[in-house]
Amino acid sequence: MSDDVFVTGLGIISAIGTGVEESLFTLKSSVSKIGEIKHLKTAHHDIPCAEVPFSDEALKRKLGIGENEVVTRAALLGIKAAREAFESAKLHKVKELGLKIGFINGTTVGGMEKSEQYYLDFINPDTRNYSDYIEPHQCGTCTETIADYLLDFDFITTISTACSSALNSIILGANMLRTKQLDCVIVGGTECLTKFHLNGFNTLMILDSERCKPFDDERAGLNLGEGAAYLVIENEKSVKLRGGVPICKITGWGNSCDAFHQTASSPNGEGAVLSMRKALKMSNLRGGDIDYINAHGTGTPNNDESEGVALMELFGEDVPPISSTKSFTGHTTSAAGGVESVIAILALQHNFIPPNLHFKNKMSKLSFSPVTKLKENVVINNVLNNSFGFGGNNSSIIFSKIR
Amino acid sequence: MAIYINGLGNISIQDSVRKTTISSPISYSQPLVSCIDPNFKDYINPLQLRRMSKIVKRAIVSALLAVEDAGIVMPDAIISGTGLGCMADTEKFLSAMIENSEKFLQPTYFIQSTHNTIGSQIAIYLKCHNYNNTYSHISLSFDMALYDAYLQFLLGDIQSALVGGYDEMTPDYFQQLNKVGYWKENVQDSLYITESETDGSFAGEGSIAFVLSNSPMNAYAELKGVKFLHAPKNNEEVKRFFNAFLKDNNLAAEDVDIFMMGKSGDSKYDKIYDEMAQMFFPQSQWAIYKNLSGEFYTASAFGFWSAVTSLKNKQILDIQKVNNSERNSFSNILLYNQFQNRNHSLILLSSCG
Repeated sequence: MSDDVFVTGLGIISAIGTGVEESLFTLKSSVSKIGEIKHLKTAHHDIPCAEVPFSDEALKRKLGIGENEVVTRAALLGIKAAREAFESAKLHKVKELGLKIGFINGTTVGGMEKSEQYYLDFINPDTRNYSDYIEPHQCGTCTETIADYLLDFDFITTISTACSSALNSIILGANMLRTKQLDCVIVGGTECLTKFHLNGFNTLMILDSERCKPFDDERAGLNLGEGAAYLVIENEKSVKLRGGVPICKITGWGNSCDAFHQTASSPNGEGAVLSMRKALKMSNLRGGDIDYINAHGTGTPNNDESEGVALMELFGEDVPPISSTKSFTGHTTSAAGGVESVIAILALQHNFIPPNLHFKNKMSKLSFSPVTKLKENVVINNVLNNSFGFGGNNSSIIFSKIR
Repeated sequence: MAIYINGLGNISIQDSVRKTTISSPISYSQPLVSCIDPNFKDYINPLQLRRMSKIVKRAIVSALLAVEDAGIVMPDAIISGTGLGCMADTEKFLSAMIENSEKFLQPTYFIQSTHNTIGSQIAIYLKCHNYNNTYSHISLSFDMALYDAYLQFLLGDIQSALVGGYDEMTPDYFQQLNKVGYWKENVQDSLYITESETDGSFAGEGSIAFVLSNSPMNAYAELKGVKFLHAPKNNEEVKRFFNAFLKDNNLAAEDVDIFMMGKSGDSKYDKIYDEMAQMFFPQSQWAIYKNLSGEFYTASAFGFWSAVTSLKNKQILDIQKVNNSERNSFSNILLYNQFQNRNHSLILLSSCG
């Protein structure tokens, strides 16, 4: 048996759609879903965000979860996407076949959206109102709740590296397959909008008051989004035993630390160069073999310059076709590595490049511009996806077609 | 392939900084306690110190101590576990946001609020660009960080790793957890907390880091195995978990010299420890550690510290012993921790001769 890591299922929910089909349709329609905040009760309703267009109650109804069950929004989004991934890979028989299955979830807000709502009750020793939401504040509880609504897993864990959480979950899953600790893993992440991080990013003055323009010379910041997305990844034994149909392989990954600043990226993109270089080396691919890059591309002046400089360092004059789909989905923070891995895999599977919306002006410091119009019928064999988090937690991954 | 523990740094509610044993165990009788902090200025330059939150200061000092102790320059990986992340700064930003109706907020507390602040601040301090990851999975947060390192040693991806467990207990979060039954109403003598017959445990906090490497030089102990069990339906499943772990590690139950348990004094959940001890390890020395560390999500890091130092010293504190089976040999320690009977972990450590 080979050490190959196969992707056999996908699940996604974000502003661009509930499920893979709807998301693919939005991407091919070149329509951004960044807009007005409708569900998050915040004073900053004028800041554009990319919300999942359902209330918690509506999500619970969709999932058949009772309205009084204690499930936070990030967990609801997670259950929706993880179930789709599970169904699409047809994992129903995985336990009967004696295969070991895990669930690795990335999140940072955990249950913060309830904590911020009920905080005054939480800290008031004289009331027990909403106490059921105290423990679900934690990231690990979010993961366990999702797992409880899914399957009796052999292994569960939670990674929290801010905006690279989901991608680091995919990397751990791949390492667990390589070391034969598991046969099959559902990997990715979930994050819902909260007032906490909306205000946090707002104080950092990195939120665009309009729809974000990644890699544009006049880019003015990011828009927050929310969502959840997971991949089902398996080893060859598991794929063969249960007759799974691989979509693609994960051929390389890299994790590094920029070790520069808690929230800013280094001007030379050192951490980004390292994570992409590790991924390329592991995949035995050359720069020219990468047919599409789904960039981290948040739209902040700092990220896009740092990531762009890193790309030039690595790919020289021939930076592959690149786009930031955060112009569709907003920045789904801890879920971004999952959401964008699903998008990158869809591009690979359906041979198209989603455009980088709202782009007008080439950045003076960069030699390249992103793809601005949908490109269809292009041959895509290898895609690279980047996720960079606060604290310089940088990760990169490469998905490749199976030949 | 062997994995060794070569360096450690421990800030806890005991006098543990730069120590490899607790020479005078401190007993607490108040419910909310804090770490005995070192003088941070002895380790971190004042300019940088000013901008750091307490949990970050502690994490950096324990990391520096572990790195210095191991005599390495730069770890190949920095892997951190934290159940709550930077709780104090999270609370500061959250309360300010609520009090001021989302106005007049400063970014500092938000910047320092994410769980990975700890691991990335260590990386920034050490200027370490290598693999960096953070686990936040309730009581397994430290164990998962250790496990990630273990996997990468197996794969040959790393030769060294800085692995730590970091958690702080704030008055507000203590109060919140109190409402959901975490803590005992009264603590008379924390050193004897596990003799209590009431529900709840005694809260602690800690910042405990280790350098692991594949070099046996000056090693405290060898890490043999790490394994988890999630949400067992009954004790039979827990027994199977123990049997499988012993088998995986080619270890007979009687070869376990010390069975070190994460008993927290919570009568609701402590029974399973006794049951497993009696069933598998009747001849072993039974030991505990949370009477020293208190209970927190990364308390198992203190257990790990206690196990590796005991193997090195060939000695275990009397206050940690909970049966009379004195052993002559100090070859294998099995660490068992579980939380609310949902998350169970086993870690096997062996002496280096």
